[in-house]
Order: sequence, then C-alpha cells, then structure tokens
Amino acid sequence: MDIVIAGFGVVGQGVAEVIQQKGRALSEVFGEEIRIVGAFDSKSCEVSQDGLDPGALLKRKSMDGRVGKKDSDGDPWRILGGIDYDTLIEVTPTNIVDGEPGFTNMMIALNAGKNVITSNKGPLALKFKDLSRTAEAHDARLRFEATVGGATPIINLSRELLRGERILSIRGILNGTCNFILNRMKEEGLPFAQALREAQDMGIAERDPSYDIDGVDSACKAAILANAIFGLERTYSDVKRTGIRSVTEEAVSLAAEEKKVIRLIGEISGKRLEVAPRLVPIGHPLSIGGTRNIVQIHTDLAGEITVAGRGAGKFETASAILSDLVALLKENQK
Amino acid sequence: MLFIIKDEYREKGNARLEESWLKVNVDLRLKDIPGQLVFALEPISTNGGNIVGVVHHRDVVIGGHITVNVTFEVRSDKALQRILDTWKERDIDVARMGSLYETFPIECLLVGEISPQELNNIMERIESMEDMESVDVRYSVSAASDGKAAIIFGKVRKQEAVERVERFLEERAKETGFILIRGLGD
Repeated sequence: MDIVIAGFGVVGQGVAEVIQQKGRALSEVFGEEIRIVGAFDSKSCEVSQDGLDPGALLKRKSMDGRVGKKDSDGDPWRILGGIDYDTLIEVTPTNIVDGEPGFTNMMIALNAGKNVITSNKGPLALKFKDLSRTAEAHDARLRFEATVGGATPIINLSRELLRGERILSIRGILNGTCNFILNRMKEEGLPFAQALREAQDMGIAERDPSYDIDGVDSACKAAILANAIFGLERTYSDVKRTGIRSVTEEAVSLAAEEKKVIRLIGEISGKRLEVAPRLVPIGHPLSIGGTRNIVQIHTDLAGEITVAGRGAGKFETASAILSDLVALLKENQK
Repeated sequence: MLFIIKDEYREKGNARLEESWLKVNVDLRLKDIPGQLVFALEPISTNGGNIVGVVHHRDVVIGGHITVNVTFEVRSDKALQRILDTWKERDIDVARMGSLYETFPIECLLVGEISPQELNNIMERIESMEDMESVDVRYSVSAASDGKAAIIFGKVRKQEAVERVERFLEERAKETGFILIRGLGD
C-alpha cells in the first residue's frame, strides 16, 4: 500500500514513526508492503515512487523544520499530482471555519478514487456529506477513527463491531482538557481561571483555550458521530453548544454536596445533539477525572457499552490512524 | 437475610428508556424448603418482568413458611395478572401487594445571576406543573457577584414531565441569563 501523508506536524510525525516501527511486521501479516511515497507540510514536499524512508523524513523535520527538500509554494498537489498512491493520510490541522486545507486535500484524493484516513475534524464536521458522497461515487474508502476520542475506539466499534445493533444514543466526555479543568476545580476547590492556567502551564490547554473550553472541539466530534453513526446530515453548527467558562467554583461545590460532579458531556440521541456541562453522579462511569475521554453507547441488544481511553496525543492519534490503515489492509486481502 | 439488588446503571438504558413500567412490591409466603424461591420468581421472568430486588427473611419461620419481599417491574396489568394467577396455581400466598409509581429524577443546577424573587417564581411554577412528585431547591451565594448557584432536585411521575421542567428552565435561562446544567436523567 502506497501512502501520502498530508501534514507533518505532531500527528503526521507520529504516523511516520508508527510506520517505521510496525510497517515491516504489518507487511508480513498482510502480504503487502506499506510505503510512504509522498509527504508534505505547510512549506515543503517530498516525493518518491520507490518509497521514502520515514526515519529520513522525521530527521529532516526535526533538523530543518520541514519534511521535504522541495518548496510546495502552497500547492503540494502540483508536485504530488503525478504520483501513484493508494491512500492519503490527511493530518493537517483542524480548521473549523472552512475546513481547509484538509477538505481540498481529501476531495483531491477521493475524486481520484484514493482512500482517505484522517484525524482532521474540520472537514468532516463541516462537510461530511460532500466527503462521504464523493468517496462513494469513486468507490474509495473514507476512514476517520482518529477524529473522535483519540485512541479510544468509538467510530469503528459502533460502525463495524456493533453493525447489527440499533444504536439509541451516544454520550460521553469528548474533550480531555475540559475534563481536567473541571476535575481540578472539584478536587482542589480552584476557580475556573486558575484551573485553566494550571492546564495551560502543564501543556494540556492551548494558549488560546477557546476551542476546547467553549465546547467547539466536542461539538465537532458530536457532529461527526451524528453523521457517521446515526446517519444524520448535521454540521458542527447544528450542535447545541455550551462550554465550561461559566462553571463557577460555587456550582462545582454545590454539585459536590449532592454527590455530583460537573462534566462537559456530548450527547447524540433521537432527542438531543448537544454539548453541555451536565451533573454526573460520583461513581458513574462518566464522572472520571483526568484527561481521558469516555463514551457510553446505548444499543437495543447489548444495552450499554462504555469505552474509555486517551483522547489526544501523538501516538494515541497515530494508534487510531493505524487501526484504519489495518482495516484497509484487511479489505485488500479479500 | 439475602439481598439481590441489580446494578442500577445496568438496568437502565436501551428499550427501557422509551417505555413505562409498573413497579410492584409484594410479600410472598413460601414453604421453607429448597427451590421455593426460584419457583416463586420464575413466573416474573416468564412474563417479561424485571426483578429489581429480593429480600429473603430466612430467619423468621411461621407455620413452616417464610416471607420473601420481592420488588419487580412489569410492562402491563395483564402481565401482572398472569403472574398472580401462576402464584395461585403454585400455592404461593401473596401476603401483601402494593404498586409503586416509577419516578424520574429532576436535577438542574442554575449558575449565575438569579435573584431570590426569580428563584421563588421558578420554584412556584415548577411545583404547579403536572406529574410532580416532589421538588426542592438548595442554593449557595458567594461574595462574588457572579458566584451564585442553585440546585433544583425532585421527582416526577412521567418522563414527559422531566422534559417539561427542563424546557421551562431553558427558556428562563435564556431570558434571565443564568446557565442551566442538567442531570444525566438516569
């Protein structure tokens, strides 16, 4: 399987490292060589139909701050256009305004009948229908486990392992940063601003934390789940969204007196498509602390299934991308 | 004394979210011989019932009989009647029977500027709504002007009543600017 990696930031580098570590073993299992034939970042591009050495790409990125020798001049496809590949791994940063450049990268690949694996929430949260219909029209696969829950398997679990079930609702903690802040407020009695500063100092929250604390990240994930699992044609803006900025220490304390914690919960069901702070009983699976993500899937036969795991990080996201890659390799074996 | 209580989270969910069940509590008088408890509980599951709890008073034997308190849920009066008929056929005495309302919890936290008058108005309006079983409020006020919070909790007899209360509070939240934090509804 020949791969192009679009975006060579933290996640892209994680993918290259995982291919370097596990590529040979996977090739032996599936009888198909896994080669990176193209990679680009915002500045540069590297291409070789004979395959690129992941170690060399990682080294150049580390030394020079760019993945390739060639300048991409903002249009990597000018260089990549002539290359033959099977799968695009699209891991450029999420853009929730117009989904670019991820959306265009994905559409170029899908229109050419290439498979796409992505961790990029923006294009899917904004234009899921366009992407899935283009994939269908060109008999290409669009896989996106890494967009929701990081290493926590939610989408493939729901769509593949629970295929025979009717999924009634999904709800859970979809953003580890908010969970960390809310948990610190409860455990240490901190005001919101102080818990946020602590999260920023620890590198858990961004300098501009609005994407997390205003519920934007969770709402993107809820929109993706609504489309992918419930077949609802919804975008990010259809998700009713309340962040955690207004959660006060008094509110956290009052909740604790009633043996409850406040958690930012995403819910997708027949009645709701929303992200909002909710009261959760202490001891309930959704009351977990820390930065983990956790999701409860309610189905008609299995009842309640709960999955939890690390929601973000270089190798956690690469793990989800790898699961999609393996699914494509398995499909090729048939 | 033997207690059998089902996992409170496991018994919720899937189809039960959409259906209302009749909850029944009975005292059964059973012969104090092995196998009688299973013999008594079997008609409940056969008729689609859901056993919530069993309290087995093994230490009190009167006339060779012991008393077992059973709480279970059934989907209809007909299913309940079939269970009662089977117990009669099996010579199992029903010493006492009571039905309970299934109640649904209301838990809402209101955060932000809420005057005592506004809170009173909200409580009066909720108390006057249909299908309310109970409702109460607790609040905290800090010195900080934006530090107020109040928690409203109670029970209602129908799922629709939960939604009615939440809709009302959502509207009030929009009008007056407080933040509404709902419970999970489990």
